[in-house]
Amino acid sequence: MERSGPGRKTRPAPQPRGHRENLTGYLFMSPWIAGFLFLIAGPMVFSLYLAFTDYNLFDAPKWVGLKNFTDMFADPRWRQSVKVTSWYVVIGTPVKLAAALAVAMLLAQKRWGQSFYRAAFYAPSLIGASVSAAIVWRALFSDDAVVDRGQQLFGIDAGGWIGDPQMIIYALVALTVWQFGAPMVIFLAGLKQVPRELYEAAEVDGAGPWRRFWSITLPMISPVLFFNVLLETIHSFQIFASAYIVSNGSCGPADATLVYTCYLYDQGFANSRMGFASAMAWLLLVAVGLVTAVLFWSQKRWVHYEEGGR
Amino acid sequence: MSRNQGMDRRQMLKLAGFSAAGLGLTAAGCGSGGGSNGPVTIRHAWWGADDRAKKVQECVALFEKKHPKIKVKTDFQQYPDFWKKFNTQAAGGNPPDVIQNAVTFLRKYEAKNVLLDLNPQAKKGNLELEGFRAGLEKFAEIDGKLLGVPVGSNSMALVIDEKVFEKAGVDHGLGWTWDDWYAGLQKIKSGQGIAGDSGPHGVMYLYDLILRQNGKAFFTEEGMGFGENELLPYWTEALARVKSGVYADQKKVEQIKPASALAKGLSAGEFTWDNFSVRYSAEGKSSYSLAPIPTTDGKKTGQYLGSLMLSGTARTKHPAEVATFISFMTHDPAVARIMGYDRGVPATTAQFEAFQPTDAPSKAIGAYETEIAKAGVLEPITPHPAGADVVEAAFLRIGGDMSLGKASPEDSVKQFFSEAKTALASN
Repeated sequence: MERSGPGRKTRPAPQPRGHRENLTGYLFMSPWIAGFLFLIAGPMVFSLYLAFTDYNLFDAPKWVGLKNFTDMFADPRWRQSVKVTSWYVVIGTPVKLAAALAVAMLLAQKRWGQSFYRAAFYAPSLIGASVSAAIVWRALFSDDAVVDRGQQLFGIDAGGWIGDPQMIIYALVALTVWQFGAPMVIFLAGLKQVPRELYEAAEVDGAGPWRRFWSITLPMISPVLFFNVLLETIHSFQIFASAYIVSNGSCGPADATLVYTCYLYDQGFANSRMGFASAMAWLLLVAVGLVTAVLFWSQKRWVHYEEGGR
Repeated sequence: MSRNQGMDRRQMLKLAGFSAAGLGLTAAGCGSGGGSNGPVTIRHAWWGADDRAKKVQECVALFEKKHPKIKVKTDFQQYPDFWKKFNTQAAGGNPPDVIQNAVTFLRKYEAKNVLLDLNPQAKKGNLELEGFRAGLEKFAEIDGKLLGVPVGSNSMALVIDEKVFEKAGVDHGLGWTWDDWYAGLQKIKSGQGIAGDSGPHGVMYLYDLILRQNGKAFFTEEGMGFGENELLPYWTEALARVKSGVYADQKKVEQIKPASALAKGLSAGEFTWDNFSVRYSAEGKSSYSLAPIPTTDGKKTGQYLGSLMLSGTARTKHPAEVATFISFMTHDPAVARIMGYDRGVPATTAQFEAFQPTDAPSKAIGAYETEIAKAGVLEPITPHPAGADVVEAAFLRIGGDMSLGKASPEDSVKQFFSEAKTALASN
């Protein structure tokens, strides 16, 4: 990467490296290589093997072929977990990105106290991954808590969202949307790159704010948008902690927050069906891979890169 | 390093020689004493909450004072998390030495050789097996192996909000029937405007009693002791009662978890273990007491003594120390004075006599257990097959989902039996 960068072209061609030098390189990399082999690659291969076995953690794994996969498709709770997760990805991700972009656009304008606002909007995603935020969320959306009382002011006496199978998933979406800081920062960086002249020229031509947004902002930041869509989609597929904690470890009520990883965890560690859980994990990997591939394929149609760079 | 500057090489060597000799001496000291004489550390894991943690810690401090050569490290989680962690540790070959345990898990871990047979330790005199209250000494004996020692006994009961029951004028006495109980709930609903029960349909241990009152049981040695025909009417009826408001609003019950619906005033009664009334009294504003389990024929309650126990794990390197610790926790009177009825009524007479409850809920538990023992209704516990823990969780979850209106009773019953079958087959 570095060699192709601007200003590096005059550098002399690199000398062929000696054997010794390579060895030193590998030696320095060895902690990472060892970690990768023993902590990532090894367990992954083992888990792929387990996906085709019946393994209860204690007795030796028994080879069962594709049984875990056929069991999965026949299992109504598994289908429910797929439904909940898909819904969460399809609804939660766009809403979160829309919020991130909207706030990024507000914060991109020069105004007094700008850095304070940026920090304030980013803060929730710093604590976002923590268990405490989910616990606070559970408290906010419980019966007779802040949200419930707010509803009552408007004459809606529906009770809290946490115990309601119809509503609890919205509490989870709200939690993820609230943590829009990371994509917001990336959007902000993208917005800064859009040349002012384009807006000025458009304004001279009489384009209104919406027109400028659709015709200039969106196309110009489309690479950044693509990056955020990709990252947030993958992230949404992996939702676990917030669902687990907001539902008090039950992924309920009535399996309403039974996200894929929650069911996987339950099958593996509570029901001791590690083979089944491994099969689920591999299917998730394949599904996320497929979605990523589709996104990459679609980007040709809507992501605009400036030709030749700047 | 700068300190060594004044020392010459010879001095350094001398010093090194000294320390080497010192090391040799200590090594010799260790060797002559044998392995078991050195300080030994055992790990004790249990489930519960902060107040239990304080009590357990106090007992451990006392134990370490009496047995200076044994150190005990403790670790605790909430009940479901406890077992998830333990499964993983046990599968990895590194389980804690002593765990809190319950009957639901005995066969599961026995089948997997996870638990320590305590009989040899009892023979060696490291574990005292005399002095247990009637019915408790053989509690955790399976196929001739002693897999645990009870620390306390408890029995299912109906914990009630005394004030509501009194205001509504509902009588509750030993031998009352399910019809009496249900008439009482309706009286409470119409007179006091609250649900009479939190909704008992997901409580496996209560359903077990109902089955036993009718000559069956939840589990047999082989597996399930009942069929769809029994469960369907029970759950259909439960759904109707939730809808009519005789059982509490399940949405609200769901969101106040882990607090109990009874303690939060959502209902006037709840079927649960009798020692839970101690916790409810701390959580809730009203006063709580115990009512007997209703019956079908006015006599048979189906009740048995359940119990928390302490078990050793088979991989432990220190079985003697494990047995010594378990013996201390179950027999030492001082432990009973610290723990109270936190883990049920103490299992040994020495501990039972050492703790005289002064608070109302503990007094009620003592009186309740004495009463059911005198009434002669207690039966032996039915064994729980391996996988019973997963079945219990499924019963609770699916019963709960049904009462929230997610699935019809028919579908729920089918789903439960399908999950139960899988659990019993794969564990």
